[in-house]
Amino acid sequence: MKLKSFVKLTICAGLLALPIASNALETKLSGEFWGRWINETAKKKDAAGAYTDKMVKNYFSLERGYFGLETKFSESTKGRFTIDIFSTDATHEYQAYTLSDSSQVALPVEPSSLTSSAKTGSLDGAGLKIKYAYVDFANLTPIPDLTLTVGMQKTFFGTIYDWNYSLIGKAPTDEYKVANSSDLGVTLNGYIPKGFGEYAFGVYNGEGYKKVGASLKENTSFAYLANLRLNPIPGVTVGGSYMTNTVGRDKALDGEAVNKAYEEQALMDAVVRLAYGPADVWAEYISKDVTYPEETSSSKTQEYTATGISIFPTISLKEYVGYDIQLLGRYDTWDESDRIDADKAQSYLTATTLGANYNFLHDETANPAMQLQLNYTTKKYDEEKSHSDFADGMKDVSQINLQLKWRFANTIN
Amino acid sequence: MKVNTIIILIVAILSAVSVPLLAKGNQLTCSGSTTVLPVAQATAEAFMDKNPDINISVRGGGSGVGVAALQNKTVDIANSSRSMKSKEIAACKAKGINPTPYAIANDGISIVVHKNNKVSNLTVAQIKGIYTGKIKNWKEVGGASMPIVIISRDVASGTFEVFNEKALSGSKVEGAAQLLASNNAVVTAVTSTPGAIGYAGLGYVNENVNVVPVNNITPSESTVKNGTYPLSRKLYMYTNGKAKGVVASYLSFIQSAEGQAMVKESGFITLN
Repeated sequence: MKLKSFVKLTICAGLLALPIASNALETKLSGEFWGRWINETAKKKDAAGAYTDKMVKNYFSLERGYFGLETKFSESTKGRFTIDIFSTDATHEYQAYTLSDSSQVALPVEPSSLTSSAKTGSLDGAGLKIKYAYVDFANLTPIPDLTLTVGMQKTFFGTIYDWNYSLIGKAPTDEYKVANSSDLGVTLNGYIPKGFGEYAFGVYNGEGYKKVGASLKENTSFAYLANLRLNPIPGVTVGGSYMTNTVGRDKALDGEAVNKAYEEQALMDAVVRLAYGPADVWAEYISKDVTYPEETSSSKTQEYTATGISIFPTISLKEYVGYDIQLLGRYDTWDESDRIDADKAQSYLTATTLGANYNFLHDETANPAMQLQLNYTTKKYDEEKSHSDFADGMKDVSQINLQLKWRFANTIN
Repeated sequence: MKVNTIIILIVAILSAVSVPLLAKGNQLTCSGSTTVLPVAQATAEAFMDKNPDINISVRGGGSGVGVAALQNKTVDIANSSRSMKSKEIAACKAKGINPTPYAIANDGISIVVHKNNKVSNLTVAQIKGIYTGKIKNWKEVGGASMPIVIISRDVASGTFEVFNEKALSGSKVEGAAQLLASNNAVVTAVTSTPGAIGYAGLGYVNENVNVVPVNNITPSESTVKNGTYPLSRKLYMYTNGKAKGVVASYLSFIQSAEGQAMVKESGFITLN
């Protein structure tokens, strides 16, 4: 273990011990770990420039490990600290790459192709991030069930903040890099009396919990968020989120040189959930408006709107077969074809997933300690709506994932 | 696959599974609050005696456990010694569960001390002072010179949540307090500890401990029913939507004169 890793782990261990040392009212110790086998086939260019199917991935990984403490300092003050541990051969980090036409695009990269300056984490062991580190202050105002949350916390946008990974894939807004699942900020969040819904207003850094070093946002503008979910009748949930964000600085800190890659984003999300008996269906619509106010070249995308639709049905077979088995599906479209034709990031993606979960070792409230998940996913890029170079290396991907997820939670009084 | 195809597929799947999941014969399950437990057990036994073809399974675990089980659709009735929180109701509604409360009894959370403790009254402020560690000796509240031993409930308990809200205004319980998992355990611990103070539902109080009036009001049928006793509350059973079939029959039985007589026998206060 390198010195930096050792220091990081020591700091994390110290933070984890804080609630115990502070003689908290209640401390919950929890963990969740995902061991996964991934097999991925994708079209890759051969020597003649033609695309042929090749096996891209076939390995086991500790895809995620969450380990954390939740502590009640009083009935109205709670803290949560969670670290995110993952094996670095499966980090799926995204990097901003400059293409030959100088435009920038976010692409998934293989660890072997990372240059030393582009590394996002250690390649010689587990990756480690702080996922959550926040404090909830409730009852600060006469408004019932209103909480002020301060620190590294959930981003209350779309479905990302309560995505429970029933399918192995990420929430759509996470998958398509619309929002980050966790970020530093301050939010007012709460519940409408009688369970009619929830809401949140927040100010965040806007760059998420994974950014480090040179990939940090490097600007002084916050991201602003509003979220509302309503449960008008049992089984029906409707909601919407809106967030503004920026990427990069518009002008250099020293001098007046403009940054053509500076982005201004307006992000919207609409959610509908229908739950009835063993059936549960989520549908999500996402819109991401991006403008490059400093880009003046007509050969470059100056603004575009990306849109996405995700439909996610689940059927529980527990009542029918006696075992806690779920059948799941997901259909996504992600459309960035609004970029100009010369833009190598122009794309239109369709993704379909079919899956099954077997939940076992339930606790007294029927929450399972273990979940075995099997997913089959195909992703296709529409050739007419996508730049010919865009999908290089990840064209028409099919992936099988088998995952054992196990979790625990114990309360220390 | 086109969006239209997906929508048609989803509608077809929903249609296929929309056959209502009927109650599992005459099997009924309820779990949750340990305070409600004796009432639930007594009434379930009497109800099963009258209806031999019906089987009722009653479990404890705490109000939070019962509510979570209702949310996960694993029980027919969630017993709770507190009202459900907005967060819990929202989570239920999102899953298609409509938590519907049925009040089954009244209760006063009783402050209990050792039999030999002669303290005759405590104000809510004094109770808060004791449980937050500001008052450490009985002589500060009119008792003998003796260190106070604080006994409380674990934080998953509905009784704790009501006590914390009504007596402590959300303040943190002194770190040295003993946190026990049931009303019985609290009363037993107070019985054997001369300096102890604890709290429990009226139904668990016995002659081995002294009940201390709060703000000079003793928990009784009249003071709990008219709400003058500061730590009074209702006990609930929650169902998914309006109770039907066997569940409705059982709840009607508890709310009947016969069922309420059992509530009284269990030491709690009747609804009317």
